[in-house]
Amino acid sequence: MLFICVINFHLMAQADSCKSSLSGKVLDEHDKTVLEFATVYILELNRGALTDSAGNYKISNVCDGNYTIRVSHIGCENIEEKILIKGKTIKNFYPEHHTELLKDVEVTAARPLEQTTQTKTNVTDEKINQSKGQSLGDALKSVTGVNSLNTGNSISKPVIHGMHSNRILVLNNGIRQEGQQWGVEHAPEVDPFIANKLSVIKGANSIRYGSDAIAGVILVEAKPLRDSAGIGGELNLVGMSNGRAGTASAYVEGNLNKLNALSWRLQGTLKQGGNISAPDYILVNTGLKEYNFSYALGWKKKNYGAEIFYSQFNTTFGIFSASHIGNLTDLNRAFNSPVPLETGPFTYHIGRPFQHTEHELLKLKSFIKTGDKGKLSITYARQYNLRYEYDKHGPLNDSLEALNKPELKYEITTHTGDIIWEHNRVKNFTGSIGLSGITQANTYEGRALIPNFQNYGGGLFFIERWKKNKFEIEGGIRYDYKWLQVFKYQYIGNATYELISPIHKFGNFTGNVGFIYKSDSVLNVSLNIGTAWRAPSVNELYSNGLHHGAAALEFGDKTLQSERTNNAILTVHYNPGKRLNIEVSPYIHYINNFIYRQPASTPMLTIRGAFPAFYYKQTNAVLNGCDLYFKYKLTKSLDITQKASVLRAWNQTENDWLITMPSDKYETELTHRFNNRNKINSAYISASFLYVTKQGRVPANSDFAPPPPAYYTVNLHASCNIYVRKQNIEVGVSVFNLLNESYRDYLDRFRYFTDAMGRNIALRIKIPFNIKSGLPP
Amino acid sequence: MKKRTNTLMAIAFAATVIWTGCKKDEDTTTNPPPPANEEEVITTMKLAFVDSSNNSNIKYATFRDPDGDGGLSYDIFDTIKLEPNKTWITTILLLNETESPADTISNEVLDEGVDHLFCFTPTGTSATVIKTDLDNNGLPIGLQSKWYTTVAGNGTMQVELRHQPGVKDGTCTPGDTDISVDFQVKVQ
Repeated sequence: MLFICVINFHLMAQADSCKSSLSGKVLDEHDKTVLEFATVYILELNRGALTDSAGNYKISNVCDGNYTIRVSHIGCENIEEKILIKGKTIKNFYPEHHTELLKDVEVTAARPLEQTTQTKTNVTDEKINQSKGQSLGDALKSVTGVNSLNTGNSISKPVIHGMHSNRILVLNNGIRQEGQQWGVEHAPEVDPFIANKLSVIKGANSIRYGSDAIAGVILVEAKPLRDSAGIGGELNLVGMSNGRAGTASAYVEGNLNKLNALSWRLQGTLKQGGNISAPDYILVNTGLKEYNFSYALGWKKKNYGAEIFYSQFNTTFGIFSASHIGNLTDLNRAFNSPVPLETGPFTYHIGRPFQHTEHELLKLKSFIKTGDKGKLSITYARQYNLRYEYDKHGPLNDSLEALNKPELKYEITTHTGDIIWEHNRVKNFTGSIGLSGITQANTYEGRALIPNFQNYGGGLFFIERWKKNKFEIEGGIRYDYKWLQVFKYQYIGNATYELISPIHKFGNFTGNVGFIYKSDSVLNVSLNIGTAWRAPSVNELYSNGLHHGAAALEFGDKTLQSERTNNAILTVHYNPGKRLNIEVSPYIHYINNFIYRQPASTPMLTIRGAFPAFYYKQTNAVLNGCDLYFKYKLTKSLDITQKASVLRAWNQTENDWLITMPSDKYETELTHRFNNRNKINSAYISASFLYVTKQGRVPANSDFAPPPPAYYTVNLHASCNIYVRKQNIEVGVSVFNLLNESYRDYLDRFRYFTDAMGRNIALRIKIPFNIKSGLPP
Repeated sequence: MKKRTNTLMAIAFAATVIWTGCKKDEDTTTNPPPPANEEEVITTMKLAFVDSSNNSNIKYATFRDPDGDGGLSYDIFDTIKLEPNKTWITTILLLNETESPADTISNEVLDEGVDHLFCFTPTGTSATVIKTDLDNNGLPIGLQSKWYTTVAGNGTMQVELRHQPGVKDGTCTPGDTDISVDFQVKVQ
């Protein structure tokens, strides 16, 4: 990130007494991100201005009159527009990224054509900064319609429109994250410090990225590699009071003067935390340790380029001791106890039960321009995911115990490859065609909750976009095929097992059509209609046994069919002036063969006592709701933001509500921004009030305990940039759960055992540095 | 020429970096580890009752879930049938029958007696239980016990194995449940 806050210079001084001015913002046409260093030029006057890091520009001392304005930005189509300047004229410009004009394409930023008619919501830089030191799931919660499914504090899975796990795709640097996503207590293994940009695409977005993502896509994008010579970097430090956690993350990047095509970056994060506290007690064994690193190397020329990205994510975290229970009787005892059945002092020590996961990603990407007609890019990635789960108690047998092996170990290796050709604009059309492949191998040791499997998949897609004036239409189609073979032992009696290796095949079409109407920048309406499918995952097909920690017996069904969703999302964005900004987005998902866990009517007896049993079933489900965003500038320095996420999820076959769906969420935030002073800039203070209603819409007798009551929390944030030695050092403070409220969230799996985390004060500092300036002597 | 050397160096550097550090899993996908090597499971609890007044009068009661928790349900779940007004010398045997020959888990429980405790909770039956074995700290374990029966009647007896590492105090409260079976009891 660049910290040049205001670059606003005049190319030529105008001597006369004309006092009018032209100012505004330059924003990307599609995702409304600010465009830095865009030129806004008055042709008649031969003068102009550059936009600053917030996308603002200002041209002063202009005489009233009609002028032709040209807006240009690297990688964008120039805009020329005739406007009337009279007094203080405010005008925003929205240039469009255009492949034909990409000069010296930035390798990492040369993303394939995205489905632009779909609503893509960026997590703002401010919210990314506020969530530093927390997990990826926490960082995404500021987006309306996005919740998180938590297992205590250390495991946080994103939920879009009530759907999670295999129904969401996480794209880490353009690669689909492949680990053991099926588990509700398996969070995405991504270091949030890699993300320079986080965004969420809601709705069936499977054309470009493959089947499965029927609920949406989460994009984690790294910062593009440095393209100017020199060496620089950034250091981030975060301290948190609750859990006495500390995080340090840094990167160094460079570009050689002599070898300008080569850019590199090294990045790493270290994190450690101890037992966290609820308002009234300490949660035993909730510490965590994490160490991550990544590197990137890029080689780029005008007509070709290549990039290597490698990252490793390693984490070890304790599972709250009192959440590990023997059977249904223990669970009821735990639930009825006012304090957890085990409490203890603060420590950084992580004991049993705990999990350790590692994720490794290697990505190779290259592109070549195919004349002036388009661009061909080829991507290959290998991912390796390791997961160890340690039960609360080791084996009874001393020699086995001495080995201290995990009770469950999974390793999954995934290879993915893509070939995509994007064509440049022909008449009013742009588009891309692509081919992708995937192969995966999973192995286990210990408890065989998920058997070994091998799968192969392939997909072919085609997307075209037509654009003229205020209208845009986009359509895409994709076919995917998936072949899965499972290797597992089946009990056949008399202490003997037989190895079976059934094969499953799935194949189907995905389609999507979207419309956009855009009147100036005031009103922007988009409608997206899609159909997508998801093959049942291995746990849904073959789970068979006790899920420790969940205190449930889960039974898969190998005859499950693919899920098919048909959905529509309408987004109306209204921005009539400087003060008001509204986005309303109603949606509906019809899902045929929706796979869910149906509780059995009676608990099942085992030697450990009674356990509730769950069977994977299919139903027709309807999920509909609305996401709302409203921002109003009360005064010049005070904003109010209101967000709401409302969802209703209905099981049509059973004629009942669907379980584990987020309740309604409302958040109000007041932000006061201070004027820039001598050495202090971008200072703000904000207070947010989050209100989460009680989830009353649950099927009867389907859960161990009734949903918890409604709750609210108050969070405070403050931040500023201090200009020291030509660098902007960013300092921030956040107080989460300011009032130290005791509450439990319906989507927290630890709600049966404990209150959520109490007050947490986070201190952050971000220090950019420059080791070597790149300018030649 | 210099430029070319630089390019070659860059490519060599890139290649070195790519091929280092990749972790691997064993290529054993098609050949999963046999279930017998899985973690320890307790499939079977066998209770043997010896009439203290007549050594040849022996009763048995068994709970067996042959493939462990989950999968198939239990296949043996006996009712405890004892005669009234007698004292029964009782022994508990725990087995892992997923292996052949079966592994005797009760030996491990005995070894780790300081961490384990059996609890017996009668409901509606005249049978009462007194544990007769002790761990190294002088606290009862319960693998050996005496059951006393008086009047005839039906009820249940909960047989529970508590795992209490470091927290065993002779009561049933601390720790977690390793075993919990509610046997039907007929004193007749």
